[in-house]
Amino acid sequence: MTYQIAKTVTSILSGAVVLIVYLFHVSSRYQAGLLAMDDLKSWAAVMLIFIGIGIAVAIVIQIIFHILFSIGMAVSQSIKNGNCNDQAIEKNIEMEMVEDEMGKLIELKSMRVSSITAGVGFVASLVLLFLDYPAFIALNVLFVSFFTGGILDGFSQLYYYLRGV
Amino acid sequence: MGKKFEITNNIRRLRFFADEMTQQQLAEKAGVSRQTIIAIEGGKYSPSLELAFRIAHAFGVQISDVFDYRVAEK
Repeated sequence: MTYQIAKTVTSILSGAVVLIVYLFHVSSRYQAGLLAMDDLKSWAAVMLIFIGIGIAVAIVIQIIFHILFSIGMAVSQSIKNGNCNDQAIEKNIEMEMVEDEMGKLIELKSMRVSSITAGVGFVASLVLLFLDYPAFIALNVLFVSFFTGGILDGFSQLYYYLRGV
Repeated sequence: MGKKFEITNNIRRLRFFADEMTQQQLAEKAGVSRQTIIAIEGGKYSPSLELAFRIAHAFGVQISDVFDYRVAEK
């Protein structure tokens, strides 16, 4: 597994974990009566907290991933060559992390997927408001569509890396 | 009747004749990631003209020795 694929998989996982935790947290609080339908301020507070959590989780997972990836590379090199050269490992990691033309093209193409998902979510939330659904549902559709867009971005990156551009 | 365009490459063969050069070594010489070399070698990505020249330069051959452009009738 190359660096790019492993990194994409970890970003998908971190996004999915945050989204699942959010949905679980919100549904349990709503059922317990701690979040009222018309209390948009509380909904906004929960969403802001989860945006912060999402960023923090993404950073922590990326740090852990880079540490594990470096360890994995050191182990594979020591198995292959019989010794563990720090400079060679650093050079290999640098080479793996190179962002080249294919990476940029894939990033652009997958960004289109996330933009479309977020756009569809925005339109869906407007339609829900137009159809007299409560505002918190529209807000949640918007929030979930942004997070789902991020996850789909990862999946499309994975698709392009595996199937080609 | 339509025409089908196809770009093929000889990277695997050239790596073999370059003392079994690894994909990592080629990536290093061409200044791209190993993932990109894997994709080009597998015909899943057509590189830019600049990268094609860099790959040819890494092997010390002409660009036409690395890449082949074919037009096939459908």
